[in-house]
Amino acid sequence: MIRLSVRLTASSGKQALIRLAITTAAVALGVGMLLVTLAEINAINAQDARTAWLSTGMPGDVASSQSPVGSKSPAARPAWWLFSTDYFGHLIIDRVDVAATGPGAPVPRGLPHLPGPGQFYVSPALARLLRSSPPAELGHRFPGHLAGTIGSSALPAPDSLIIVVGYRPGQLSRAPGAVEVTSIATTPRGNGLPGYDPTTLLSILAVAALALLFPVLIFIGTATRLGAARQEQRLAAMRLVGATARQTSVVAAIESCITAVGGVVIGFGLFIVLHPVLQDASFTGVRLARGDFSLDLADILLIVAGIPAAAAAAAHLGMRRVRISPLGVARRTMPSAPRAYRMFPLLAGIGELGYFAIAGHPRSSSGQIEAYFLGFFLVMAGLVIAGPWLTVTGSRIMAGRTSRPAALIAGRRLADNPWAAFRAIGGLIVALFVTSVSAGITTTIIADRGSSANGVAGSGTLADQFITGESVSGKALTAVAAVPAAVLTGLTSIPGIRGVTVIHTNPDAVTSPGQNENDMPGLVSCAQLALTPAAGRCARGAAVASITLDLSGAATSGSQSTTEWHGAAMSLQRLQRLPVLMVIVGTDGASAVIERARTALEADFPYLGPPAVLTTSYSLSAYAALQRMTDVVIVASLVIAGCSLAVSVAAGLADRQRPFSLLRLAGAPLGLLRRVVALESAVPLVVVAAISAGTGFLASALFLRSELGESLRPPGGAYYIIVLAGLLGSFAVIGCTFPLLKWITGPEIARNG
Amino acid sequence: MTRRAVVRARSQAAASSAGGCVVEARDLVRSFGQTPALRGASLSVSAGEILAVMGPSGSGKSTLLHCLAGILVPDSGEVWFDGRRIDTAPDAERSMLRRDQFGFVFQFGQLVPELTAEENVALPLLLGGIRRTKALADARQWFRRLDLDGMERRRSGELSGGQAQRVALARGLVARPDVLFADEPTGSLDSLAGEHVMELLSAAAREQGTTVVLVTHDARVAAYADREVIVRDGRVNSLARGGARP
Repeated sequence: MIRLSVRLTASSGKQALIRLAITTAAVALGVGMLLVTLAEINAINAQDARTAWLSTGMPGDVASSQSPVGSKSPAARPAWWLFSTDYFGHLIIDRVDVAATGPGAPVPRGLPHLPGPGQFYVSPALARLLRSSPPAELGHRFPGHLAGTIGSSALPAPDSLIIVVGYRPGQLSRAPGAVEVTSIATTPRGNGLPGYDPTTLLSILAVAALALLFPVLIFIGTATRLGAARQEQRLAAMRLVGATARQTSVVAAIESCITAVGGVVIGFGLFIVLHPVLQDASFTGVRLARGDFSLDLADILLIVAGIPAAAAAAAHLGMRRVRISPLGVARRTMPSAPRAYRMFPLLAGIGELGYFAIAGHPRSSSGQIEAYFLGFFLVMAGLVIAGPWLTVTGSRIMAGRTSRPAALIAGRRLADNPWAAFRAIGGLIVALFVTSVSAGITTTIIADRGSSANGVAGSGTLADQFITGESVSGKALTAVAAVPAAVLTGLTSIPGIRGVTVIHTNPDAVTSPGQNENDMPGLVSCAQLALTPAAGRCARGAAVASITLDLSGAATSGSQSTTEWHGAAMSLQRLQRLPVLMVIVGTDGASAVIERARTALEADFPYLGPPAVLTTSYSLSAYAALQRMTDVVIVASLVIAGCSLAVSVAAGLADRQRPFSLLRLAGAPLGLLRRVVALESAVPLVVVAAISAGTGFLASALFLRSELGESLRPPGGAYYIIVLAGLLGSFAVIGCTFPLLKWITGPEIARNG
Repeated sequence: MTRRAVVRARSQAAASSAGGCVVEARDLVRSFGQTPALRGASLSVSAGEILAVMGPSGSGKSTLLHCLAGILVPDSGEVWFDGRRIDTAPDAERSMLRRDQFGFVFQFGQLVPELTAEENVALPLLLGGIRRTKALADARQWFRRLDLDGMERRRSGELSGGQAQRVALARGLVARPDVLFADEPTGSLDSLAGEHVMELLSAAAREQGTTVVLVTHDARVAAYADREVIVRDGRVNSLARGGARP
């Protein structure tokens, strides 16, 4: 039976071979994308594994024995360890301060030994950055001299910026946050390391993979419909001469398996050929190390065995839906026409997001996550569920009113089977929705944090926080009793520094244990605050004002950047004697000035963590990765959707080649048939793209309104260019079917068809 | 006066001046690869005449019809319509001729499956630029004439073979063509349904003065014609007419 099936497949005529070729190409495309996704997941996991040692001493690092500063441990501890994250411009530097207490101190992979006091090891990328940057902007932050470079086994990526600085145990043991460790962590924490958040990256990748694979699966499904009528005739003929239903099912399954095996082979070939290019392409924004972008045996086995098995199963299920009798297709289950109730999930999702936009978002973080996840899920699923109804409604309107034959035929065809029409573009819905949401949200956030008038001020303002913990009553504990005058003078003497504001503790403020440190109350001199406007301004006439440390919030939006802080009953003289919670440095915004100020602060207040720019753009890296990923997804999925449409069009033409060719014989110009084809495919594509993008922007606008109190800003030109390029690509693919139209509607079809 | 009316008037004038001959084939030769289909076929059809082209399978009768209708271009020989030579005319001109002055009925599968029966009938009118409302109104008149009342909204899959063929006939005649080319119009029907279709076809054609070129191998169908010719081995022979028209 198998040999007969193979022979039938190989000798089933030109149309069957074309169908096989297109289906094989679709499977190859899907397999190629699956392989790229798996390799990218492996790469992210490999990168993540190499960040494990940076988690040493962090909460959750069970491999390390640790004790925070102040606790006395009777046993000797071999190393003091302090991890922090530093910044240089938009770059993130992972910094480990370490002090070996003896020769048995644990040594991370990639280092020959722990750096001694006054030594440091750096990653090759950081070594290059140190060489190319003025020491006052970067080098002076790190005490000591370069002892060597960190090996690649300790680097998540070739471009990772990492430094390990050596100290004497007595020095580092006094640093807030330093812990004693006896071993190096081997299990990544999975979060907390800026720039290497694999959970976020894998989530983005998962969404991207889904958004890509969905159209590919649709493409494969559409391709299998090409020439299905001829296949059904063939199977009916077999049934007529005595083949059982099971045997015809085997024939169909074998044909699918042949396609799948061919697709798997070509897909692997594509992956191998494109491997060097893909390895250097940075999907997540982090350049991959050699060998990271690879497949393991389980991946290969999954694809090699899974795809043909899935194809055979799909063919078997398909044969259950279409029962082949000796006289042809006896039963094909066709769903009834879609109803208006399909709009309900979409409207419910928009309603839910709209409710929170009007009534305000839930108070708790988990409540917000649940609310927005549900809202976005309902909208996205709602688009897919409502799609066929929208298609049938629109096409009925078009067909019911037009006097143009092309619009009439196209509209009737769409209304006849909206499922098929929508299936070809269903993947596009998801991709465009995700793209529009991410474009809407990231554009607005980036615009509000980076380009508004106050945002500019915020982006040039550094904040260095000194809180080391809190007292039993909830008061903030700080390591800095006062800012020496020499430090203030040194900072203000840097060209480009506009002012320095010192925020002191507020002894009269009522606090509660566990209060968020950003909400900690403080006091500030209004004269100083006037020099750092990004942190807000004092009430008129006040000399000292109450302030909270949530300064980044004050500078992130136009409404909050002009925050007015209430006056406090405190004299300036008493204020100067209070411990210091934070130092704010206002600059002219030049990156060199910011980095010089940051370097000076780090040198003046070591171990207390690096100062951060108020409107930090580091946190936007996840959005940028999302944006980059969705750019790739939208272009690829638009093109795949175009391929699906082209195959769908070809399948539709094959089904109607006789009436179409007779129409042409009867004088209908080829242009009319081309218009039919174009309308059938391009109209749903454009309409769905518009609805999907519009819904995406509406959902992101509602989210921005409720969560951030901001209005949606239009996305940048890149978004429109990508969408336009994708649509044009799809139209080009559709246009490629036009020669086919001429070929299959020739006089011979009418004579022989 | 519409473009269609002008063309029709010109056509009728030309037909009268040419002694009533509307369509003429002269020494047509046409091969498909190495297989000759026509080997010097000649034929003329008068205005308003119903001509039956008969012959066994593979004799070349369908090829002759396609050449007369400008669908196929002969390898040699001439095809004249309305005093104009059409075998040398460009494809676009022949397409326009087929759309404006010819009608077609084939054996099966000619209805666009997604359209309703009335939309299928109205299609030639819509192609000619007539507004939808008028086109559908004109189309509906044919349903009454062809005993298809109540079938207007049905799709091709919901019609019997005879009904579908009558819808196709209505579509072929709705634009009032000068010539109706019918290739085995009853070939897929039983004898009763076939006779019904032929009665309606001949009656409608005579009523509006449409010339009909009818290809068939069925003598009972050919009996509805004014004249019969037989195609054998790619050549046309006239056939002496016996009995009266049914």
